[in-house]
Amino acid sequence: MLELFASQIVNGLAIGQVYALIALGFSLVFGVSNLINFAQGALFMLGAFIAFTGVTTLHLPLVAAAALSVAVMSLLGMLLERLALRPLENAPYIAPVLSTLAISLIVDQLAEIIWSPEGQAFPVPFEEVTYFFGSAYITSTDLLIFGFGAAAAIALTLFLSRSWLGRTLRATAQDRDAAAQLGVRTSNVKRLAFGLAGALGALSGILVALYFKSVFPQMGLPYGLKGFAAALLGGLASTPGAVLGGLLLGIVETLASAYIGEGYRDLVAYTLVLVFLVFRPQGLLGDRRLDALGGLGGAGGAMPSTSVLSSSSSQRKATRVLELPPWGFLAVGLALALLPVATQNAYVLQAVAYAIIFALLVASVTLVSGSLGILSIGHMAFYGVGAYAVGILARNHGWPAEAALLGAAAITAIIAMVAALPLLKLSGHTAALGTLAVGQIGYLVFMTWLDVTRGPMGFIGIPAPRLGLLGGYTLASLTQKFCLIAVVVAVGLALAQRLLNSGIGRVWRGIREDRLAAHAAGLPVRRYILLGFALSGLLAGTAGGLFAYVQSVVSPESFTVSASILLLTLAVLGGLGNLTGAALAGFALTLLPELLRPFAEWRMIAYGVALLLMLRLRPNGLLGAR
Amino acid sequence: MVHSLPTPGSTQPGLHVQGLSRHFSGVKAVDDVSFDLLPGEILALVGPNGAGKSTLIQLVSGVERPTAGRILLGDVRLDGRGPERIARLGMGRSFQTSRVFPALTVWDSVRLGTQAGLLRGGGTMHKDPGSGHGRLSNPLAEIAGELLGLPGWRRRRAEADARAETALKRFGDRLWPRRDQPAFSLSYANRRRLEIARVLAAEPRYVLLDEPAAGMNPSETAELTDLLLALRAEQPTLGLLVVEHKLSLVRRIADRVVVLNQGRVLATGTPAEALDDPEVVEAYLGRRRTRPAESDAHLG
Repeated sequence: MLELFASQIVNGLAIGQVYALIALGFSLVFGVSNLINFAQGALFMLGAFIAFTGVTTLHLPLVAAAALSVAVMSLLGMLLERLALRPLENAPYIAPVLSTLAISLIVDQLAEIIWSPEGQAFPVPFEEVTYFFGSAYITSTDLLIFGFGAAAAIALTLFLSRSWLGRTLRATAQDRDAAAQLGVRTSNVKRLAFGLAGALGALSGILVALYFKSVFPQMGLPYGLKGFAAALLGGLASTPGAVLGGLLLGIVETLASAYIGEGYRDLVAYTLVLVFLVFRPQGLLGDRRLDALGGLGGAGGAMPSTSVLSSSSSQRKATRVLELPPWGFLAVGLALALLPVATQNAYVLQAVAYAIIFALLVASVTLVSGSLGILSIGHMAFYGVGAYAVGILARNHGWPAEAALLGAAAITAIIAMVAALPLLKLSGHTAALGTLAVGQIGYLVFMTWLDVTRGPMGFIGIPAPRLGLLGGYTLASLTQKFCLIAVVVAVGLALAQRLLNSGIGRVWRGIREDRLAAHAAGLPVRRYILLGFALSGLLAGTAGGLFAYVQSVVSPESFTVSASILLLTLAVLGGLGNLTGAALAGFALTLLPELLRPFAEWRMIAYGVALLLMLRLRPNGLLGAR
Repeated sequence: MVHSLPTPGSTQPGLHVQGLSRHFSGVKAVDDVSFDLLPGEILALVGPNGAGKSTLIQLVSGVERPTAGRILLGDVRLDGRGPERIARLGMGRSFQTSRVFPALTVWDSVRLGTQAGLLRGGGTMHKDPGSGHGRLSNPLAEIAGELLGLPGWRRRRAEADARAETALKRFGDRLWPRRDQPAFSLSYANRRRLEIARVLAAEPRYVLLDEPAAGMNPSETAELTDLLLALRAEQPTLGLLVVEHKLSLVRRIADRVVVLNQGRVLATGTPAEALDDPEVVEAYLGRRRTRPAESDAHLG
C-alpha cells in the first residue's frame, strides 16, 4: 500500500518535472514581457516532432536529435518574438496574447499537415529498466526525465542568478524602462527569453515523447495548459515557483488518477488551480509586495487603467465603433428568418442555423471579455450546460420548447454566476486562467458524469422542439427549427444590446477601464460582475439549447477548451465589447469554412494568419472595440 | 496627541481618525495618526514626499486596511469596510494619479459617479447614515428599469444626469464642451478636473482630494481654489480633506492644517501656525528657513 503510494509519488514527480519545464518557459516570457505565451504548447509539440524526425527520418542518435531540436526551437522561439510580438509592442495589452494564440493555431495545424494528425510511436533507443523496491517500482525513463528536468531547472536558476545575461533578464522583468535606461538592450533580452522558452519547450517535448513513447500533433494544448496552470500555481514570475507548481500539479494529478480514477486526473488538477486562485491568487512563491503601490500596473503608466484594451504606450487612439441599434438585430433576425422562403436547401439552412447560434454564443463571450474586461477562455462550458439542460428537460421531462429553453438559460445563468464567484477578486491573467479552469472542469464533468451526460457516448434522442403556447405544435422540419433559432437569437441579441447601451453596460465598461476607481466611486463591483456573468450565461445557455435542438445529439467533443479559445479570438476579431462585431464574426466564421470545405486542412491556418494580420492592422477589431 | 478621543458611542458628527497606523513590512507609512474633520471644515494634509499623506487617504477610503487604529464617520466604523461601502456612506475621494475611466466619454465617466446614488433610490448621500445605509435596489428591478424604460427608473436617471451635468459645469468650459470625447484624450489637468467632477456628482458629505492641483499652472491652481471655496459656500456642511503641496492653495482654503512627517503628525493648527512652525520648515527643507516665507510665493 505504502509502496504503491511511493511509486505514485515518483511517477508524479517525473510528469511534474515536465510541467515544471513548460512552466519555466511561461514564467521566463511572462517575466520579461508580461505576456502569457499561449504558443508555448506549440513550441513543446514542435520540439518533440523535430526530435522525432531527427531519430526516424535522419537516423540521428537520440542525443543528437534532441540537440538539433533544442537548437531549432531556440531559433523558432526568437522568430516568434520577432514576427508575432515585437510589432505589437504598443498595441492593446490583449493583442500579443491573441497573437500567440494565432501562432499556436497555425503551428498545430501545420504539424497535422506535415506529420499527419495521428499519433506516432517515438522510438526509444535504449531498453527500459524497471527497478523494484519491494513492490514499489521506478523506471529508468522516470529517472531520466527527473534527472534531466531537475538539471535544466537548476542550470536555468544558476544562469538567472549568477550570469550577467541572467541579471539583465531579471532586471528587464522588474522594470523594462529602467533597465533600458541603464544600457540593457531590452529587445535582445526579450529575444533571449523567447529563445530559452523555445529550448525549454523542446526539452520538455522530448521528455514527454520518451515518457509516453509516442508523439501526436494535438499534444501541445493540453500540456501547454498544464504548464500555464503550474506557472500560476507557483507564482507567475517566479522561477523556483514554476518548478514547485509543476511538481505539485504532477503529484496531485497522479494521485487523483491512481486513487479516484483515470478520468479524474485533469478534473482534480484544474479544481486545484481554481482553489488556488481563490485562496492564493499570487501563487505559492509569488508575492504582493508591489501591491502597496497599487500593483504592477498601478506603479507606473501615465494613465492608470485595468483594461485589456489599453496599452503600455500613453497614447490611445480613438476608434470608430460600428454597431447596430437593438432593433437592428430584430430586423436582421427577421430577414434571416425568411431565408427558407428563398431556399429549401437543407445544407444551406443547416449551415446558416449553426452560424446564427454561433453569433449568439460569441456575443455572450464579448459581454464578459469585452464589456467587463475579464477574458474568458471557458465559455464552451456554459454553452454545453445549456445544451445538456435542454436535452434533459425536453427528453427526460418532456418540457415544451419555450420552458426548456428558458429553463436551460436560467440554469446556465446560475452556473455562470457560481463559476464567477472564484473570479471576483481576480483580474488580468489570473482571471483568464480562472475561466480556463472553469472551461476545463465543465468539459471534464460532461465527460465523466456518465449518469447524466453519458459522457463520450453522447446524449441522444433530444426531441424536436414542441411549442406549448401553440397547443403543442412541433417544429419537426429543419425549416421550422431555423425560424425558431433566428427569432430567439434576434430577441436575445436585441435585449443584450439594449442592456449594453444602458447604465448597466456603462458600469461594466467602467469596471473594465478602472476597477479601483469603480470601487472608489461606490459602484457595487461584485454585483455587476455577477450580473455580467449571469447575462452572458443566459445567452450562452440559450445558444446551447438551440444547438441541442438542431443536433438532437450532444457530446462533450463540442465543448472543448480549444473551441473556447476560438470563441475568444472571434470576439476580439469583431471588436471586444462590440455585440454587432461579435455576432458578425461568429456568423461569418462559421459560414466561411463551409465555403472553403475543399481546403479543410488549411482553414485554421488561414484563420490564424487572418487573425495575425488583423491584430497588426486593426488591433481594436473589425467593427471597433467599444 | 493633539485631539482628545471622543468617547465611543457618542454620536459626534464628522470624520474621526484615531491612532491610525499602517505598516508595510517594517516601514511605518502611517504611524499613530489622529485628527478630526468636522462638517463644513476644510482640512489640509501637508508634508514632504513619503510622509504618508496618500497612504492615509488610502486608509480612510478603504483601499488599504489599517494595521491599527480606528476611523469613524459619525459613529459608524469605517476601518474594515471596503472602498465601495465607504463611498456609499458619503465619502468621495480622488486619486493622486487621477483615475478616470480612460475609454469612457467624459459624460459617461461623470455619470458613473451618480450610479451608486441612483441604486440607493435616487437620493443623494447627504442623509446621515442610518441603520439601512448603503442598501441598494434589487438587481432585477434595475434590469427591468433599464430594459423597459420604466417611468420611475427614468425619473431617477434624469435626476442623476442633472447632478452629473451640474458637476461637469462647475468647471466652466473646461469639460462640458468635451463631454463626448473619451477621457484619455483629456490633458493631465483636465483629467484631474474630471475626477473631481465625478466625485462631486455623487454629492458626498465628505471629500478626500489627493493633490488636486498637481500638474496645474498657477492660474489653473487659482481657478481650482476658487472652485473649492465656491463649493464650500454652497454646501456649508461639506467636509473637505485636501492633500496638497501647493501652499498657496492650502493657505487660501484650509481652516486647519495637519503636517505629517515620516508617518507621524508633526504639527496641527491654522495654516499660519502650522506652516511656519520651525520644525515643519525643517522637515520640508532639511534646514531652517533663512528667508521670509513670502519670498517662496512664486513656487506656488
